[in-house]
Amino acid sequence: MSTIAETAARGQARRRLRFDGWRWGGRIFLVFMLLYTALPMVWMLLTSIKSGFAAMQFPPQWWPDQPTLASYQKLLDPQNSVGQDFLRFFWNSLFVSTATTILSVIVAVPAAYAFSRFTFPGRNFLFFTVLLRNMFPAVIFLVPLFILMRAIGLVNTHGSLVLTYLTFGLPLAIWLLKGFYDNIPVQLEQAARIDGATRFQAFILIVMPLSTPGIIATAIYSFIGAWNEYIYAYTFLSKNEQLTLPVGIQRFFSENTTDFPGLMAASFIMSVPVVVLFLVLQRYFVRALTEGAVKH
Amino acid sequence: MTIVTGKTEARRRLQPGKSGVLRKIWEHRADYAYVLPAIAVMLIVIAYPIYYTIELSFFNTPPGLQLRDKTFVGFNNYTAILTSAVFWKVTWNTLIWTVGSTGISFVLGFAAALALHRDFFGRGVLRAILIIPWVISAVAASYIWKWIYHSDFGIIGAVLVGLGLADRPPNFIDSVSTVLPSLIVVNIWREFPFAMIMMMAGLQTVPDQLLRAAKVDGANAWQRFWHVTFPHLRNVSTVTILLLAVANFNSFIIPWIMTGGGPSNASHIWITHIYELAFGRQRWGVASAYSVLLFLILMTFGYFYVRALSGNDRKDGSA
Repeated sequence: MSTIAETAARGQARRRLRFDGWRWGGRIFLVFMLLYTALPMVWMLLTSIKSGFAAMQFPPQWWPDQPTLASYQKLLDPQNSVGQDFLRFFWNSLFVSTATTILSVIVAVPAAYAFSRFTFPGRNFLFFTVLLRNMFPAVIFLVPLFILMRAIGLVNTHGSLVLTYLTFGLPLAIWLLKGFYDNIPVQLEQAARIDGATRFQAFILIVMPLSTPGIIATAIYSFIGAWNEYIYAYTFLSKNEQLTLPVGIQRFFSENTTDFPGLMAASFIMSVPVVVLFLVLQRYFVRALTEGAVKH
Repeated sequence: MTIVTGKTEARRRLQPGKSGVLRKIWEHRADYAYVLPAIAVMLIVIAYPIYYTIELSFFNTPPGLQLRDKTFVGFNNYTAILTSAVFWKVTWNTLIWTVGSTGISFVLGFAAALALHRDFFGRGVLRAILIIPWVISAVAASYIWKWIYHSDFGIIGAVLVGLGLADRPPNFIDSVSTVLPSLIVVNIWREFPFAMIMMMAGLQTVPDQLLRAAKVDGANAWQRFWHVTFPHLRNVSTVTILLLAVANFNSFIIPWIMTGGGPSNASHIWITHIYELAFGRQRWGVASAYSVLLFLILMTFGYFYVRALSGNDRKDGSA
């Protein structure tokens, strides 16, 4: 609700500044950012529907004169060897990412709840230790984890990936979920306790349903992280049939870099699941991500 | 109004008996059950690797993975690193990469958040498009940009030639002088959306009344931004910049896939260099020593990060 004086003041300000430099500057800037963001993706799509010959021209064909879905057909066709490999990479990625997501959520939910609600000795220390994990790059952990995986016989299995993906999935999941639990009023649980529920029952029956958006957001984050992970998969897996998409498409094209339409089509297919997932659920996701940082 | 939280309840329970730490831990044994699985996973996949890396940094190892045949060399690996020219070259690259990527990503993301803060037609769609690069895989991003930078068929080169700004397409990522800035452009493309998301969330917490009051008092747009909006965003800015800086410092995929650190180390940063030392040249001891140094640097980042976050909590409590 604005008072008359405010409205008048605003009208005056508007009249004084016919040309709102800030607004126009903002618009021009957004157009620039849109071009910067979108053009590479548009170029990926346009290249992916060219023939190999059409892509290798200078100056380039801006718009493919004979658009073709041949690259996509090749990648998605289980009848030929390229398609077989590519689809296997796709399923491997899906399997590893889903397994990681499920495990992260199962382990992170109780931990985040405890960090949010309980005060046990060492709570802060443990929480910040968990947080600090995300400071450290995968490379530091590669050699020891490789040796560890070899010792327990997990090298060249997807199990090694799922286990290592928990190293970066868990800390984030715990952090995101804790933000959600912090925002659920304790009184709700206390009411349940008074009604005779145990603490665990209150957690399962009252808190869990309320934190569903947080769990969804956490699950997406874990999934995207695992889906895009490259360095562990690149180091731990050696057999062609095990590779996940990021490593798979690299093996695919590192020897034969001339097939840029194929490479762009593969990049596009790899991006689709996470982008769709993200766009559909971005509301939850953005909230979870920014929850902790914006308090003041 | 008094709100009895779990926290105060627990604190009250603890106060009467001046019991030892063990007793407190015993009293809270049920709480630990919730965090135990997480801690167990963390111990196996984090604590052990860190311990092992520190140990290995004091040894020389034969090539291959016969790490049992290692010989103790004291601090030799560390002195070897600090006296090598490559180390300083790579450190300089890392500094440019981290500061450049972080600074520009933050400024662009912040500016985009400000521009998107005002409602207009198509805002939601525009925001969604701007976020996409952050979600797609860095591997895909690397290939897309490699193709864009291609020295024969790249689109940027073609535009420059078409406009008469170059005789032939430049070698963006094959030339020592342009490779690092070219990779930074890719990196910013991928991560300014993160800064944008964080700052958009931050902007929503700036009280409208304050801005309106400032406007009534005659503050212009810049003054409103500088004296009202920006001070409110101190906290979220700190966290965002720290997270970006750490992520950039730890980058691997973009430089590794696009150039492999070349040409002649011009785009090697710490992480790619460590990776090459370990898995390329199998110098596990030296690579481990590098990792320990990295670890120490990151602990410094971590200190500020924790301080920023816990400063957050403290203000929460008093608010």
